Amino acid sequence: MDELALLHGYQTVGAMLVGIGIVGFLARRNMIVMFLSLEMMLQGISVTLVSWSRFHNDWGGQVLTVFIITVAACEAAIALALVLMLFRRAGGLDVLFWQQLRESNVEPFIEHELPEPPAEPADRWPHLPPAGIEPQTEEEWHRSHV
Amino acid sequence: MNAMQWTFVVATISGALALWMLLPRKRFRGRRLGSLLGLVSLGLFASQVPLPGGPAERTVFIVLAGVTLAAAVCTVTFRSPVYCAVWFGLTLLGVSGLFLFQGAQFLSVATVTVYAGAIVVMFLFVLMLSDPRGRTYYDRLSWEAMLSASAGAVMIGVLSMTLHRVFVPEAAPPAADANNVAVADASGASANAEATNVPALPEPPTSESLQANILAPEHVARLGGALFSRYLVTVEAAGVLLLVALVGATSIMAHARFEQLRRSRHGNG
Amino acid sequence: MFKIETLMVLIPGLPLLSAIITAALGKWLLRSRSHWPAVLAVGGACLLSVLLLFQVRREAAALHEAGDAQAAAHAVGYEKTYTVWTWAVVSRALPARATFGQQASETSHSADPPGTTVPEDSSTSADARSLEIGITLRADPLTAVMLVTVTLISLLVVIYSIGYMHDDVGYWRFFTYVSLFVFSMTMLVSASNFALLYVFWEAVGLCSYLLIGFWFTRPAAAAAGMKAFLVNRVGDFGFALGLFLLWTTYGTLNFHDTAAAPGILGQTLLADPSQYAGGWVATAICLLLLLGACGKSAQFPLHVWLPDAMEGPTPVSALIHAATMVTAGVYMVTRCTPLYLVSADAQQVVLLVGMITALLAAAIALTQTDLKRVLAYSTISQLGYMFIGLGVGTLPGIVAGMFHLFTHAFFKALLFLGAGSVMHAMGGVIDMRRFGGLRRRMPVTHWTFLIGALALAAVAPFAGFWSKDAIVAAISQRVQDDHHGASVALYQWVFWGSLFTAGLTAFYTFRAFFLTFYGEEQIPEEAGHHAHESPPVMTWPLIVLAAASVFVGWCFQRGQRFDHFLMQTPSLAFSSAQATLPAGEHGGHGNVAVVSTLVALIGIGLAAYLYLGDRWEVAWIARRLRWLYTISYRRFFIDPIYMALFVWPLRGLAAFSYWLDRQCIDRLVDWVGRVPLAIGASVRALQSGLLPFYAMAMVFGLLVLIGILVR
Repeated sequence: MDELALLHGYQTVGAMLVGIGIVGFLARRNMIVMFLSLEMMLQGISVTLVSWSRFHNDWGGQVLTVFIITVAACEAAIALALVLMLFRRAGGLDVLFWQQLRESNVEPFIEHELPEPPAEPADRWPHLPPAGIEPQTEEEWHRSHV
Repeated sequence: MNAMQWTFVVATISGALALWMLLPRKRFRGRRLGSLLGLVSLGLFASQVPLPGGPAERTVFIVLAGVTLAAAVCTVTFRSPVYCAVWFGLTLLGVSGLFLFQGAQFLSVATVTVYAGAIVVMFLFVLMLSDPRGRTYYDRLSWEAMLSASAGAVMIGVLSMTLHRVFVPEAAPPAADANNVAVADASGASANAEATNVPALPEPPTSESLQANILAPEHVARLGGALFSRYLVTVEAAGVLLLVALVGATSIMAHARFEQLRRSRHGNG
Repeated sequence: MFKIETLMVLIPGLPLLSAIITAALGKWLLRSRSHWPAVLAVGGACLLSVLLLFQVRREAAALHEAGDAQAAAHAVGYEKTYTVWTWAVVSRALPARATFGQQASETSHSADPPGTTVPEDSSTSADARSLEIGITLRADPLTAVMLVTVTLISLLVVIYSIGYMHDDVGYWRFFTYVSLFVFSMTMLVSASNFALLYVFWEAVGLCSYLLIGFWFTRPAAAAAGMKAFLVNRVGDFGFALGLFLLWTTYGTLNFHDTAAAPGILGQTLLADPSQYAGGWVATAICLLLLLGACGKSAQFPLHVWLPDAMEGPTPVSALIHAATMVTAGVYMVTRCTPLYLVSADAQQVVLLVGMITALLAAAIALTQTDLKRVLAYSTISQLGYMFIGLGVGTLPGIVAGMFHLFTHAFFKALLFLGAGSVMHAMGGVIDMRRFGGLRRRMPVTHWTFLIGALALAAVAPFAGFWSKDAIVAAISQRVQDDHHGASVALYQWVFWGSLFTAGLTAFYTFRAFFLTFYGEEQIPEEAGHHAHESPPVMTWPLIVLAAASVFVGWCFQRGQRFDHFLMQTPSLAFSSAQATLPAGEHGGHGNVAVVSTLVALIGIGLAAYLYLGDRWEVAWIARRLRWLYTISYRRFFIDPIYMALFVWPLRGLAAFSYWLDRQCIDRLVDWVGRVPLAIGASVRALQSGLLPFYAMAMVFGLLVLIGILVR
């Protein structure tokens, strides 16, 4: 196989993954999606590392990728914990909610025209015909077991 | 500017437009046009990259890279975060396929297991807590879509052009062309490097040397050997890092829990 | 028996331990029992000091006999040093220092014609200069005498304080400070190098400050403490300069010889006094040290703090400001005798300072109405006497000065404690015009005070007689020896001045005594139910001190015991051996004794005539000699003069500095602070709180970076 061409191709794929990740991180407002984008950037780096590892015929790149996976796992754990906390505080995952941390004299970024919420989609779950017995309410269940 | 450079510029612009169109926005979201432009851009970029090996290998590579990149674009452009996560899973599969194509078997499996198996699932769990269907306003809006898309596309363009200059030196601008020789020639490469301000590449490995080391049949044993001999300290450090992350995540959540309890009690009292 | 080193360490160690214990536990645990550690520790130290004295005496005698038996040069004195811990070492032969020294010596050689007064060894020792400051204790007769004096008086005062200070809020604090003082003072007299001496010189100053301001809620006490501290700063500044000069001259600060360098008062230099730096260097060193001594011992230009220091508790006045700490200057000058012997000018300055102080303080004491202030001025006057003794420059003079220190400690402590007893009974009133005729109500205080007064007035055979007489005799001896000398007139004046002062002393002492204990009984209303004799814990120390005041002079003067013992101190022994210190004659000054006793009796008689009963002459004299009376009563206007000369200009300077600081420097600092504020304000808008915006900034930065890299 043409090692140089292989390296070139992999580098390009890695660069594109990083670039797409950047776009996702910058443009998306959902914190979880932002984190997915971050992970994608890490994947791009992993791809380049592995291809360099092959080109140099050295284990270093692959070992480093192992560590990237490790760090990504750590990051994901902590980041998700933090995101959960932020979610509880803000009641949503919008990253722009936290612009309240800005300096007091800076004008806030306000989206003046929010998109209309989509119409509730038609219930696509199949309707089962009533069958069997009606389930007891919790209270009734308790009473029957007292 | 020569044709090659024009190609990169057009590819960058069309890529930026494609991403801009695909990103969630208030009105006018030309998904088809965007996809088309994206494909064009991808094709233009791909046209400047030499493909490796024989036809079978080329096909495998093109399929893997195409799936990966398409899934990546879908990841960042879908409104519903659940779909984003699923598409990200597909990206990971593509990446692991690319790893396998390079002969990095262990990483390929590890990526699937750790990422797709654990991390993405964790993301999905968290997503289930909020609105998973992309109905919230912030899933249906982008922040400065044009600017973001341009930044990413320019980054891709710049990096690709640089890669092209490194790997295909004969296509370099004529001014720097005079001293160019084959990349394989180490001394020539260094002269080339001086002329074009790009670092020289070493000799590519032969398939025998690869078989002896990176592509050896006892792949995982070799990798483990490297991990636990030369990189032992790093492994230990990574272990400590994992432990600390565990403790950190736990304490953050415990704290949050405590806060919640306190607040509720306060509210009751 | 204890080893002598053990004694040397334990004597300061016990009070230190007591100070630590009282400080740590006093407030919570010991409370009204806080005196126990102090009593035990100071008592132990006193006992050990006496043991040390006997041991030093025995070993010195053995040395003396051995010296005679071997027919060696002469008695070389006895000293023992013990380094507890080497505290700071600056190694010798610092390159920069060495070259500096060489250059200095070269220039001095080229600039000065040979044979001038620049000492040769100042340049040679400059090359080998090393600073090694150890916590080195010494034991020699001088130290032993000082230790016994200090610890004995301290013990009695501590016991007395149990009664005097009872029910005070700061009971534990008082005993902490006193223990700390005893530690510092014993260290001061045990120190075997100037650096350590200086450290504890400051430490006793600190204790003095703390104890003067003991009742710190009273503004007068706080101000007096500050005054004492500030006036002492002037003296200590001179002392420090003197130490610097000593170090540059001799390359060491040790008293004793060490392996590195011969000590300033060590056997090597003492054996060959020509090695001492002469000329202006010697005079400068001596005068600077004298300035320090003046500050601590309240001599003429710097005496103003001591009367105000009477704001402190009376036991403190007795212990620190009469018996022990203020004698530190006398001790230091005695210790440095060899240095003063080199410079006759400095010695005469000592004499002059002593004379002026003695006369001035006695003149002020004549008219003061505050009992403690009378005693304070008499202390200053008696310290002046000691300096006269040291300034005479003969061995009997110096020994007499030390002897006066020794006896004065007893009777002045007695007088102060007596005054304290009166004050205790009168509910804090100390103005003699407001009480009187107390002899029936306070018999013990009355009799002991009488003994103290007789001792202070130098009536035979009380303690003061022997020591003061020895000083006067030393001067008259000097006058006789020196009658061809250039400065005989000075000595003559000092002789008559000291006799006159003795008369004044007797007069003011008995004036105070009669006003307090005789006449019509008069008790201020503040006294309340307190107006009776003090409790036994206070009267017993008075009785002990009274007994000592009676016997101590006679006992120690008999057969020149004190002189012979003190002469075993190396610095004195060598000097007398080499006859640089004129020996003079001991005893045989009957005429002088008769004259001085006569003078004292005249003073007492005058006081008795004027103040026993209500004489019209008192008011008449005060009216006719109004200006003299005013000068004396207003203390020669020294305080206002200092106020105008130093305090007001300095206050003006302080006000100006305050203005400068506020208006210029603070403004400047404000402007410096505004620069980052402005920078911060200008980039504040970037802090938008939009996470994608920050990320965008990073991406652009990355793009620029990549662009530069791949250009």
